[in-house]
Amino acid sequence: MSYSPSGGAASERQSRYPAWAFYGVLFGILGALSILAWGPIGVSGTYPRFIGEILELVAPSYAGSNEYIQKVGHLFSKGETFVVIGLLVGGFLGARLNREKAPACEMIHPSEKTPARRYRDAFIGGFLIVFGARIAGGCTSGHIISGITQLSVSGFIFAAGVFATGIFTAKTLKGRHQATGA
Amino acid sequence: MTPLYATLVGIAMGFFIQRVRASSPGMIVRNLRLENLSVIKFMALTMAVGMILVYTLSLFVPSLLHWDIKPTYVLGVLLGGLVFGVGFGVGGYCPGTSVVGMGEGRKDAMVAVLGGIVGAFVFTVVYSVLIAPLVKVMDFGKITLADLTHQSPFVVALVVGVLFLIVIKLLPTEVQKSR
Repeated sequence: MSYSPSGGAASERQSRYPAWAFYGVLFGILGALSILAWGPIGVSGTYPRFIGEILELVAPSYAGSNEYIQKVGHLFSKGETFVVIGLLVGGFLGARLNREKAPACEMIHPSEKTPARRYRDAFIGGFLIVFGARIAGGCTSGHIISGITQLSVSGFIFAAGVFATGIFTAKTLKGRHQATGA
Repeated sequence: MTPLYATLVGIAMGFFIQRVRASSPGMIVRNLRLENLSVIKFMALTMAVGMILVYTLSLFVPSLLHWDIKPTYVLGVLLGGLVFGVGFGVGGYCPGTSVVGMGEGRKDAMVAVLGGIVGAFVFTVVYSVLIAPLVKVMDFGKITLADLTHQSPFVVALVVGVLFLIVIKLLPTEVQKSR
């Protein structure tokens, strides 16, 4: 099927195929093409590489002696860094071309009654996902999407861990609030 | 060529993530509460299509594929996943979707990315002492399901891929609330 990702065509198409199905197939093809072009898609390694570049500037001797910074390598030597730059542009285009305006601050748990509480959760969440991803050696992209696509055992184990605590945490943050009646 | 390809792949990936609303932390949390399964089905479909395609290609043009199987150090991978899951449930973002959300103009996504940068900094500081010993425990190396089952990788990909497709077909997208 041919279409241009502009407003009208997109909404017409999505009435026939749910977005998750249409883009799921496209993302699967994209992942395979990426393995053909240079390697599997990944994201989370970019965070410590970014830290490495900053430390090279402000504390070069520490950066030179830090085992992990040496292990992850330089920011612009990896294709992954450009994937992350692309994600920023892709998110912008997805919203803009379909004339969508994302909320600046989306409340997701009953306890998030003020933007400050939401930002606190977003910060803690951001900290834990990157810290956890680096323990495991990958995130949703590298371990789950690319890992399981390649049938890597590590991808299945990581996914099991993520959904075990992810489901428990999300349900608890909703349920506990209802139980207290607040 | 890698930077150009990778940027284009990132743009397409960011666009897809935005279109299926995976960059909405509210949508992620609804999926984790198992109230709506659209993002989980999107991910499963991506993997099913990807694995069948890649392992089909491996039958015809094996030398053209750039595999990168991550090592299975069971304890670290599982522990990392468990920590990640808590962050996923609390914040509603993953390392990639927060960047997509930033592109959409979400300020909480920007805060999540900032949290991720701080998390990466703390990680690099504690790596040698806390993490490096951990990743050596139960390290089985770069193994796949095909290695584990001693079957043809293509057959395993086909079986797992079709299984995923069946589960996707059976699962509802909007889950009826029983309460």
